[in-house]
Amino acid sequence: MFFGSLSPLDHPRDCRSFPFALEDLVEELTRGNVTEVKVVLASVVAALAVYQVLLMAVGYGKLRPPFLGAAPASAAHRALGDAIVVVTLAVAFMCLTYFGFDEGESVLHAVTGFLLLAVLAVKIAVVRWWHGMSRFLPVLGICVLLLFAVTWASSAGDFLIGGPE
Amino acid sequence: MREPSHARQMVGSLLVAAAIVAIVIVVVTLELGPTSVAELEAEEERRDARIERAEERRELQEERRDR
Repeated sequence: MFFGSLSPLDHPRDCRSFPFALEDLVEELTRGNVTEVKVVLASVVAALAVYQVLLMAVGYGKLRPPFLGAAPASAAHRALGDAIVVVTLAVAFMCLTYFGFDEGESVLHAVTGFLLLAVLAVKIAVVRWWHGMSRFLPVLGICVLLLFAVTWASSAGDFLIGGPE
Repeated sequence: MREPSHARQMVGSLLVAAAIVAIVIVVVTLELGPTSVAELEAEEERRDARIERAEERRELQEERRDR
């Protein structure tokens, strides 16, 4: 969900594609720590995505822990999924409005970020309306996890490991 | 008897999620350290205030000396 450089000190204003008012809003909300807030939120949703896969493995009966049944695991997966989507959209909003698009190494990040949003939208549609396609939910879920991982690694992970370069 | 168990298991699953969120926030925040823009700005403000106070003191001393 991070399009462009994550360095707070390397942030060319002319590369931004959105009105400055939105950038100011994001900056105000994060008290100037846009990058740091984004890294924390993205790391939270990435970690929760892994937990979601575990919950659904219980939901589908692939894992059978004695303390958690399939139905509560599925219900928790659904509730948590709604929260993850909201946070993911917030991070995407911050990326697009504050960092915009940047040619170069962030192309992979931008592509996986957009793919992630697209697959999430399809998954939500299948869960809520397109019940006939429910057999694709495990594949969609694994795709979401992989896209979360690559999107996080190409930006937040890179920032955490390599620093703000 | 099934319903409370279901609810308890679901709440437990959500509490685990909350614990994951808390741990990730702590670990990532520790990793980021004092590099946040707000922290750097606060540091700069404190430094400016110190310099300003020192200058004021120097000016006061010079004024006293002139008198």
